[in-house]
This record gives sequence, C-alpha cells and structure tokens, in this order.
Amino acid sequence: MALTETRPADTGSDGADLAALPSFTPDGFLGSVDHKPIGRMFVGGGIIFLLAGLVIGAIGAVESFDGSGFQIARDADEFAQIWSISRDLAVFGGLVPILIGIGLYIVPLQIGAPSLAFARGASGAFWTWLLGTGLLIVAYLLNGGPGGGRRDFVVLWACSLAMMIGAAVWALIVLASTILGARTVGMTMDRMPFTSWAYFMFSLHAIFSLPIVMGELLLALLRVRYGHLDITETASLTGVLDGVGLAPSIYWLGLPALGVAADVIGAHTGFPILQRRLTMVAITVFQLLAFGQDLVGMATERTIDFDNVLLVVGLLAAPLPVVAILGLGGNSLRQGTLRVKAALVAVLLSGLLLLAATVVSLLGLVEPVMGYLDELFPGSVDMTNSLVLNGTTFHEGIRGLVMAAALLAVIGALHHWAPKIWGRSLAEPMGLLSIALAAGGGLVWGLGEVGAGFADQPWYPASVDTTGGQEAFGVIAILGIALLAGSAALVGGNVVSVVAGRKPAGTSAADWSGLTLEWATASPPPLGNFPAPPIVSSATPLADGELAYDGLTSESDGGAGSEDTSEDDAGEES
Amino acid sequence: MAVTTTPHDVIPASYAEAPPARPRLLVLATSLASAAMAMGFIGLHSVYIADRADRLATGERWLPDGVNIPLTQPNFMGLTLAFSVVTIWWAVSATRSDDRANSVLAFAISLLFAFAYLAQTAYLFTIMEIEILADERAVLLYGIIGTHLVMAVAAMVFAIVMALRTIGGDYNSRDYEGVLSAAIFWTMMVAMYGVMWYVIYITK
Repeated sequence: MALTETRPADTGSDGADLAALPSFTPDGFLGSVDHKPIGRMFVGGGIIFLLAGLVIGAIGAVESFDGSGFQIARDADEFAQIWSISRDLAVFGGLVPILIGIGLYIVPLQIGAPSLAFARGASGAFWTWLLGTGLLIVAYLLNGGPGGGRRDFVVLWACSLAMMIGAAVWALIVLASTILGARTVGMTMDRMPFTSWAYFMFSLHAIFSLPIVMGELLLALLRVRYGHLDITETASLTGVLDGVGLAPSIYWLGLPALGVAADVIGAHTGFPILQRRLTMVAITVFQLLAFGQDLVGMATERTIDFDNVLLVVGLLAAPLPVVAILGLGGNSLRQGTLRVKAALVAVLLSGLLLLAATVVSLLGLVEPVMGYLDELFPGSVDMTNSLVLNGTTFHEGIRGLVMAAALLAVIGALHHWAPKIWGRSLAEPMGLLSIALAAGGGLVWGLGEVGAGFADQPWYPASVDTTGGQEAFGVIAILGIALLAGSAALVGGNVVSVVAGRKPAGTSAADWSGLTLEWATASPPPLGNFPAPPIVSSATPLADGELAYDGLTSESDGGAGSEDTSEDDAGEES
Repeated sequence: MAVTTTPHDVIPASYAEAPPARPRLLVLATSLASAAMAMGFIGLHSVYIADRADRLATGERWLPDGVNIPLTQPNFMGLTLAFSVVTIWWAVSATRSDDRANSVLAFAISLLFAFAYLAQTAYLFTIMEIEILADERAVLLYGIIGTHLVMAVAAMVFAIVMALRTIGGDYNSRDYEGVLSAAIFWTMMVAMYGVMWYVIYITK
C-alpha cells in the first residue's frame, strides 16, 4: 500500500487475516507497492553483485601485486577495466543496494509507517538499478568502461553507472520522504530508532553528494562521445568515482552501521543506549564530516591537501563520533545482560573496523601537515623523510576497512531483523563464520594495502614496482579480499537457506528483546505493517510497556513464535 | 515482558476510527529531488569554474577564438523564466482559492514562458558558433546548458500533469499538494538558471 493511495477498507478481521502475506503475482513482483518485497529484492540482488565485485577485485589484486607483468589481463587497459568493474560492482552494485534494501524494509516498520511514501517509486528505483547494473556488465564485456577500447561502450558504461547511482538517490529520496512525512503519531524525530536516524543521514548524504558524481559522469560521457578523450586514454575515467572512494567521503558507507550498532546493542543487552540525543548528534556529525570532502571535491582536485580545511577537519574529527557511539554502546554492554549473538558480534566488530578506518586515515594527513609546517617555517621539516601515503594503495586500505565495516553491519542487521524479513532466524554458526571472515578479511585487506602504501605501491596500480617488497603486502591484501568474498558468499548462502525454507520456522520473541516499534507487529509484517497506526510516546515503546510483542512468527510460517528455538534451529542448520 | 498481544489492544478506539494524517509527502519528495538536482547542477558548474580558472591561469582565453556568447538572449531568457516563477505561483494561489479557471490560465502562461525559454536557447546555440566536436570547452557549455534544458522540460511535464489533474478536479483548496510541488520544482529550475546565467553567460 502506498501512502499516496487510499487506505484499503478495514476488513474488520482479526490479526490472522492481516498477517497473511499477499500471494505472488507477476504484477506484485514487478511493481510491488509493499516496501518489504522491494527491500528483499534490493538485498538479494546486492549480495549477488557484491560477491561478483569482490571476486573480480581479488583477481585484480593478484594482477596488481604481480610484478612480472600482466598475467591475467592482456594489457594495462584491460587491467583498468578489471580494477574499475570490481569497484563499481562492490559499491554501487553491492553494498549500497544491500544497505538501501535493509533501510527500505526496516525503517517504515521502525517509524510506524504502513509503507513507503512512494512505494512504486522505490520499486522503479530497484528495476532501474538492476537494469543499470546489467548494462554496466554488458558495457564491460563489450570492451567498455574505463580502459575500454570501444567508444560506444565506454559511453554505455557512463550511462549505466549513472543509472545505478541515480536509482540509489531515487530510492533514498523515497526513504527520506517516508522518514520526514510518514512517521506514526508520537514518533517525533528525536524518538526515532537509531537505525532510522542513521538512514535519514545516509539518505541526505546521498541526495546531496551523489548527484555531483552523476554530473561528472555526464561530462565524461560527453567527452568520450564527442572525441575529446582519446579512446586510448579512457583508463583515466577510473577517477570519476574517487569522489566517493576517498576518506572521509567513503565513511558515508559506514553511516547505517552506526545506527544499526546502537539499536542492536540496546536490543541484545536489554539496556538501551542512555544518551539518545548524543548518539544521534554523533551520527549526524559523522555524516557532516564525510560530506565536507564532497564539497571540497566539487571545485578542486580530489586529493588530500592541507589547504582543504573541510577535508582536514573531516579526517581529524571522524574518529570522535565513532568513539562516542562505541563508548555509549560499551556502557550498555557493561550494564545490560550480555547475550552473545551473531548480530551483536557483527555490529561491535563493524564499529571497531570503522574506528580503525578513521584512525588509520589520519596517517594520510602527515604529509600535508609536514608540508604546511615547511611552508610556515622553511627548512624546519625534512620533507624527503616525510611519510607520503597519498596516491598509494593506502587509500585502497581505507576503502577495504570501511567496506568490511559496512558488510559487518549488513550481517548484523540481517541477523537481527531476519525474523522480520523472512520470518525465520538466520543460522547462527554460519553467521558467526561469515562475521569472522568479514572482520578478518577487512582487517587483512586494509593492513595489506596500507602496508603496501608504506612501501610506495601506487594506488592506481597499472605500473607495478616490486623493488620495495610490495608483493608480500599484496599477498596479504589478496587474502583479505578473498576472505571478504567468502563472507559475502556465506551471507548469501545463509539467506538462501532461509528463503528456500530449509531452516525450520520459528524464533523467540523474548530472545530478541527488540525495543523498537518494528517488533510490535507480526514477523514478517502483514501488508500495511500494523493493523492500525500505533501511537508511541517514547523512543523504546516496547521497553517502556507502551506496546507488547505481537509474536514474531506469522501464521504463514507455521504458527506463533515459539520460545527459544533460534539456537536449536541454528544447531540443526549447522 | 509479554510475548504476544492483540495489536488492536494498543490502539485507542478514537484514533483507530480517525482518518490517517496525510502529510505533504509529494512536497517533501519534490523538495529533496530538487535539492539533488541542484547539487548535481552546481557540481557541473564547479567543474566549469575549475577548468576555466586553470586555463586562465596559463594566460589563455577561456572561450575559443571566434566564439561569442551574447548577453541579450540570456538576459531575456532570465526575465522570461523570472516571469514564469510568478505565474507558476499564481497557479498555486488560484488552486488554493478554488479558482480553477485562473489556475489553468496560470499553468498555460507558465508553460508558454518555458517554451519561449527553450526557443531562445535554441536560437542562442545557433549564434554562439561553438561546435561541440571542435573544442572540449564546448562539452562543458553544452553539458551544463543541455542539463538545464532537460530540467526545464521535466518541470514543464510536471506542470502539465498537475494542470491536467487540476482540470480533472484532483486539486483544490483542501489539497493542492501536487500544484505546490510542481511550483517548487519549477522555482528550483529557475534558480539554477540564475546560477548558470552568472557563471556561464556573465563571466563567460
């Protein structure tokens, strides 16, 4: 049901009828007006393309760190294509749509909305993204993309990538409109669950920053189309996405992680984070610090430069909001009842990896700070011995850490809300394994790339210098990407096993102790989410006794939620 | 904590019977979409400004030899669009007053102004004498001006749809959300022309 449409007449039926999921129809599949299938489709499609992007990324890394010339790619241009498609697919084909899918599914439930503000718009965004991703792959297969040798398919690459990014902006406009205008009675902005707040910031960031990238793609398209960029020089187009690939801009991917972590920690400890407003301010500040780079990048070179005050402030201050949220979460862990679940482990590691990314990024400031001091006090700094990391694989290491943090947040969110999304829990052992692979992979990938950066490995690695021992770091980085790909594959397998119904239905409501509004309806929720609009007067209506659990399992899954079955289920699965 | 409950139990009967609140979702979404559009457009301008500054720093002229961008047409285009802002808000005002005839008239005049803007831009292209194939700077010029033309056409389509819905009686003094949204998008389009007018046509 879209909010712009007339509400269906109240059937006057009981909860059982409302809990029944609509049956599958082609029309419902292609143009669903329910946010839940749209969210699930984004998540499912995103996992596939994330896996593809990471596998291709691992292949590219092998080529990158192999100093004996090109082994996999035929030449530097083909290598640029491999490098570029892995990045396009992993970010805009994988992580971004998965994050969007989770947001489209969970946020309306958390704010008590019956659906999205423009559900058909979200559905259109999904199909546009899918078409764009398909065209992007076709463009690369037909020798297009950065490094491509066929002008028409380089143009197609720019068009398809713009479609993917445009679809993401479109979906997030729908999400932000829903948050602003479709909250239920009593759900003021400061009572919104942290995940919804983080998604609001995530959406605003996308709405204000991604169109800048689309503008650059438009200019690239025109330059290639009208012959102002020689077809032998298209590898330079890999830089188009640098605007969202460099710290602190790339922290944008970690925004939902902060909100999910705050909610999951509160739910799994039974002790909600105390300083709600401080947490929301921290999430907002993190978004603003990431946005500074986008403003800087609009008119200047996208390099770390001490003259770029917004960028420097963004890098310097970014660890603080992450520390604040981890600290507040730590307080809940200390004072609450700790129940170790995959979701909790995942979000904690996600926060720590995000913190690691923001702290390691500070190393990139050493060179510009030294340069600045040298300008102020000539001769006071020996620049030849200054740490120079900008322009090296150091950037790739930061990207690896942030991507792993985002993937861990995705794993945590999927485990936490699996009963909501599929009516069943994901398998805990498989989840813990995927978390270990993601955390280990992200850390190893990040350290490998940063280490290679210390050894002066160029960021865009067509020209490989093996004299500095980069290959050892390279092997570490390749291992990291492979581990991350393994984690994505496990997440996909876990989801498929649930969707395919191999895992028995049923989960425990009490076991989850969800505090926010999404837990006050059936799992999965019926069309319209709530039988009638819920009214809240606090941020955690379930904890405060305003509302109570409505059983986590819908009738379609074989009965009302049974107590304490999730671990048993996990055991059976394993 | 209770494990199950009947959801109806938590909904006061008085509220359950009340009609759902209908916030201005279309206005919110249009405002956000307009903001996204503006950011993309300003981003294009910043590339233009940066490229121009780089070229001027080397002592070269920005526009290629023989290329002339007159001011008369851009000024009149700006005036035309400024008038269209007045008329599109006239449409909003008329709809709020249940004055359907004036609302339709205001939409028609706004569309006429926008069509005049398109025609003047096409004429400007013919007298600028800059070939997109000949010079990379033309890519920036045509990219930015062309993007604005697309925005203008989108605003016109939006206005036409809302005008038709107003004629059909969908919008009136109680609900004029669509007309207001069209006016917001239109105004943003004209504001972006203001940016383009200064950056491209004035500073050249």
